[in-house]
Amino acid sequence: MDNTYLIGAIALAALMTYITRVTPFLFFRKKEPSAIIKYIEWNMPVMIMVILVFYALKDVKWDIYPFGLAEIVCIIIAAFVHVKYKNALLSIFLATIAYMILIQKIL
Amino acid sequence: MNLFNIFKMTIPIMMGYIPLGMAFGLLLSKLLIPWYYAFFMSLFIFAGSGQFLVLTLFASQASILEIGVATFLLNLRHSFYGLSMITTFKHFSWKKHYLIFGLTDETFALLKTNDIPEENREKAYLIITALNQSYWIAGSVIGAILGNILPFNYEGIEFSLTALFVVLSIDLYNKSKLHKPFLIAIIIGFVGMFVFPPAKMLILSLSVAALVLILFKKSLDHG
Repeated sequence: MDNTYLIGAIALAALMTYITRVTPFLFFRKKEPSAIIKYIEWNMPVMIMVILVFYALKDVKWDIYPFGLAEIVCIIIAAFVHVKYKNALLSIFLATIAYMILIQKIL
Repeated sequence: MNLFNIFKMTIPIMMGYIPLGMAFGLLLSKLLIPWYYAFFMSLFIFAGSGQFLVLTLFASQASILEIGVATFLLNLRHSFYGLSMITTFKHFSWKKHYLIFGLTDETFALLKTNDIPEENREKAYLIITALNQSYWIAGSVIGAILGNILPFNYEGIEFSLTALFVVLSIDLYNKSKLHKPFLIAIIIGFVGMFVFPPAKMLILSLSVAALVLILFKKSLDHG
């Protein structure tokens, strides 16, 4: 990866992140945001996150051994641990360790 | 409110940011990107899942434009945080721009749940945000350097990203009033994974999701 690509991408990502954070301070200092904006802000993030889970799985070869088994098992681990203990770090840690062991040693 | 008390408040964030930052740094080093990019990303972007997303997009050689659009969409939720901070930050000096820049999920949660007396707030908030960012930077740089010098088989570490997305999905689902967007996104993501070309999967699926959300607002809102 060349430096121009990396620097350009990082600069744009930084700008976009700042824009998402500063926008409400610029536009809604006096008036309330409209209902549709609130509706999108409430509901879009969860959809983005769910789609990102599938995006992260886009390179899994479902028709070749081990048929994405490690991914499915470890997503279930992450979800189960998170629903039970509500500790993001623990869920991520356990699922990742399980995944590394599965693909390196078992499957 | 002395410095030590403020530091104590940020300890839970430190426990989260250092390991997660390290996972980010390790992942970055696995993509053979030099370690100082971890430093610059954490300094200038300062968004946990956003930075992970940028790495995934680096790995699939996404265009700069795609990276911009995807980080914008992913971080949209932060503008919701800003909305509920407008009155709090109102009388702060120009330094509030750093607070706005540093309004991550975790910092927001901390600023929303503390009971700092009003006269000390601006200074305390600035210190909290700076401490949080320094943990994040430290974690990511340590991770990136470790990834280069420790001969450990890191194969599969990238799953931390998938797990992070799973965890954030569940958190956001628990916080949201409507349940249908979650289910619809599962369908779109699942179908999109097989139907859309991998390089365009994210942007196409997100567009479909936004379209469905807006077009079916009426039926989604009442059910």
